[in-house]
Amino acid sequence: MKSGLQGYRIALLVGLVVLALLMTVMVTNLLSQLRNLSTAEGDNNQWSISQLDTEFANLAAILSKQISKPSLSDDEVRLRLDIALSRLAIINSGRAAALFKGNEETKAQIDTINAFAEQAVNIADKPGILSREDFIALQTMTDTVRPAVRKIALTGVSIGAQQSEYRRDQFARQLKLTGGTAIGLLVVMAAMLLFLGHLLTRAQQRDTALKESTLRLESTVEASLDGIITADESGKIIEYNSAAERVLGWTRQEILGRTMEATIIPHKFRDAHREGMERFLKTREPHVVDAGRIELTALRKTGEEFPIELNITSVEGKESLEFIAYIRDISERKIDEQKLIDARDRAERTDKAKSQFLAVMSHEMRTPLNGILGVLDLLKTTPLSEKQSRYTGIATASSEILLEHINEALDITRIETGTLSLVDQKFDLAELLSGIIDVLEPLAVEKNLTMNFEFDEHLRIPFYGDGNRIRQVVINLLGNAIKFTDKGTVGLKVSGIHGPSETSLYIAVSDTGPGIDPEHQGQIFEDFVVLAHSEGRQSRGDGLGLSISRKIARKMDGDIKVNSAIGAGTTFTLTVPLTRADHSELEDETQKLPTEGKVEKSKGYSILVVEDNDINRSILKDMLMGMGHSVSEAENGVECLALAEKSTFDLVFMDISMPVMNGIEAARRLRAGESANKFVPIIGLTAHGREEYREQAQLAGMTQFQTKPIRLPTLHTILDNIFASSVETPHAEEHVLQELCGALGSEKVSKTGTALFNELRDFMNEVAAGNLAAGTPELAEAAHKLKGATALLGMRSLEHILLHMENTARSGQRDNSFSVRLHELKQTAISTEAAFNHYLNGRKQPSSSG
Amino acid sequence: MSVSNRIKTLVILLAGLCVHLTSASATDVSHLQITVGSVERVPQTLSISDIDAMPQVQFTTSTIWTDEPTTFSGVPLKSVLEAAGIDGKNVEMVALNDYSVSIPVTELEENAPIIATRMNGQTMSVRDKGPFWVVYPYDDEAKYQTETAYSRSIWQLNRLNIIE
Repeated sequence: MKSGLQGYRIALLVGLVVLALLMTVMVTNLLSQLRNLSTAEGDNNQWSISQLDTEFANLAAILSKQISKPSLSDDEVRLRLDIALSRLAIINSGRAAALFKGNEETKAQIDTINAFAEQAVNIADKPGILSREDFIALQTMTDTVRPAVRKIALTGVSIGAQQSEYRRDQFARQLKLTGGTAIGLLVVMAAMLLFLGHLLTRAQQRDTALKESTLRLESTVEASLDGIITADESGKIIEYNSAAERVLGWTRQEILGRTMEATIIPHKFRDAHREGMERFLKTREPHVVDAGRIELTALRKTGEEFPIELNITSVEGKESLEFIAYIRDISERKIDEQKLIDARDRAERTDKAKSQFLAVMSHEMRTPLNGILGVLDLLKTTPLSEKQSRYTGIATASSEILLEHINEALDITRIETGTLSLVDQKFDLAELLSGIIDVLEPLAVEKNLTMNFEFDEHLRIPFYGDGNRIRQVVINLLGNAIKFTDKGTVGLKVSGIHGPSETSLYIAVSDTGPGIDPEHQGQIFEDFVVLAHSEGRQSRGDGLGLSISRKIARKMDGDIKVNSAIGAGTTFTLTVPLTRADHSELEDETQKLPTEGKVEKSKGYSILVVEDNDINRSILKDMLMGMGHSVSEAENGVECLALAEKSTFDLVFMDISMPVMNGIEAARRLRAGESANKFVPIIGLTAHGREEYREQAQLAGMTQFQTKPIRLPTLHTILDNIFASSVETPHAEEHVLQELCGALGSEKVSKTGTALFNELRDFMNEVAAGNLAAGTPELAEAAHKLKGATALLGMRSLEHILLHMENTARSGQRDNSFSVRLHELKQTAISTEAAFNHYLNGRKQPSSSG
Repeated sequence: MSVSNRIKTLVILLAGLCVHLTSASATDVSHLQITVGSVERVPQTLSISDIDAMPQVQFTTSTIWTDEPTTFSGVPLKSVLEAAGIDGKNVEMVALNDYSVSIPVTELEENAPIIATRMNGQTMSVRDKGPFWVVYPYDDEAKYQTETAYSRSIWQLNRLNIIE
């Protein structure tokens, strides 16, 4: 643009210079031409020369007349002669003479004429009167010279004509030149006019475009929904649109010329505003200006502050920098936002409160339910009539259903509040599923259903995951299948695909039941929904089991899908990815399943029940006392520890959640202390779903972990397990001891046994003192040595533990469960020693007593 | 020109007239005749001494008829007409060979042309374009170098005829 204008300017300038030069040339030419024309250089000479001939003709005529009839005086004749001779000066001097210069022919003629003049003068100037002879001589001379005169005159005319022609040519040339110049000038001028016209058009177009865009801009600014304010460097407002009037309350007339600081900036921000402006003008660093959209506070004319969204840009104005601010009133938006946030918070609070209420209520309901179930269990142990027995059965069944519902509700709230956590540990999938089959198969058999169990042998490996949750889901699915199928088959099929580190597990539970309408297949996974639609209890998905199952599955990154059609049965498939665990570490979680030979009821043990809830405590106490044990009670961990100082117990039931000191802390202190109960088996008790305590309980040294409420059959199993290891082993291998005693004598066997138990104690002390560290070859060696002796004496439990210790130590792996195993070893050693002594004493007594 | 000068000139002219009234011949070369139009009356004549008695003008100029710059002296034509006291629109100047040319009176200037009586200080014979020669100071102005000025530069002036 600028360079273009520069180009035009140069072109114009060059054009003007050319014009000026042409003008100068023309004026000069014209002036010289004018001078040539106005100063007649030769025309008069030609006339004068031609006049020479006339004068000589006159002279000849006069002489001729005088000769024939003398009438003139001498003076007249002389005058005529003088006049003719005076003309000769013309051809001898002045410009006329210059014409002939260099012309030889003319020169000869001039000489002739001059010679005549001399002779004529001689005649005329002689004194006295001129005679007739004189006249005749003059006439003759004149006649003789006339041709030369005539010739000169003609030559003069001819030369003059040539000169005239030359001058005309010159003039014509000059005229052409001038004309050409003039035409050139006209062309240049025309070009310039065109050019100027073009420039003018362009200027007009630009002007029009500028006007249009200005108009457009003005109407845009005016129509803008955002307030637009323009201010100069000093903050003085120089433009202000109607939207700004609406937003800020100031009218255009009022605010123009005033500063932003004095009008729309809130008082508390004015200092900051001034500093900000100064800083920006100095550094040009965008902070508010040119910094995009920001939210600020502005002041209305009425004095109230309100939130705005602001975008300020700076632009070079006519004289100084100008700021253009786009202002949007966002007070309503802010209010709406706040309302939404409030509403959300309220909803969240309500929801949380509801969940908490549900959780608390469920928990609170469980405690009395525990009481009811416990009492019903106890009631069944008393003599009852057939009717009473039936009633207690119904009451027990109802209570169990109620408990199931409460547990489900708890699960839901725990999942929803995010407190459900998965506890990953190693487990044997095949064993887990077999256990489920064992429990549920009797139910199927009761309904005359066939039960199929297919298990992919590739999956007979240890996995790492929350086995208890998988068990819960599979029990739910399989339980439902049995519940809703009247005839046919219920199947459990397990398959999987081994990935690089994970295995994708498919557990399909199929039945030949009535099937589910595809329309309802989505609903059965929803909380309570299907329950509301159900017709009585014979509908799928009553309760929350499926909903919980699916939530658990999804939490494990798996899912549950259903495939069903009316009349074609139903298949639920649980998919879950599981990490594969190391093979060698498997065999330790197996002690929970009841052993086959739990026949003999052990009696007379001293058992401590630590539980803060009076009803639960008294029911458990009654149950245990009903089984023939002596029971002590403690309400919390502190009481437990105090009692443990005074007396020795064979078993402790320890509630996890208790006031003053909880069960985990109490167990830890018991294990760390030096009381007689340092190695007593501890059964941890926890509310349903509190699986997260399982690991803590193990670390604290608890032997086992049990969910409340403890039902009577469960209690039997637990006690059998705990005491079986000490009683059963000698029983199972009694023949070994018998044989030994027979071969070596009781005395010898007793000594060997005592030595073994001393060695075991030494071993354990060494380990406790840190001389034998877990996972070292020394430990493996020591365990190996002890293992031999236990095998010899038929103490298989001890042998089993020692073998495991040895293997783990040899593998060089870190053994997470080493402390538990060590404790197990201690426990087993105590009970085995007791049983061993008991057996040998028994042998002695019969022999001694008869 | 002062009043006394005018009277003096008039006296001289009148004296001149008296002297030459009787000796007028067919062609009087030495006197300048002044006539008025076609009216038949006795013409005034001026001798060279009459002219010399009038205030003189002298200048040196080049001419187209001479090779060298030439000094002319004489009286302006205008003052001759004024002295003769004759009014008219044009002055017809007639030479000895009857060549004639007219000048509008309005074009007569104070000092040009002059009726020269001397060339380079010498009187001029008929043979030498004399005795009276009308000349302009040609070098002074370009308008004196025109055809008109040249044609009005009449030599061997014999008669001035004033036309109404």
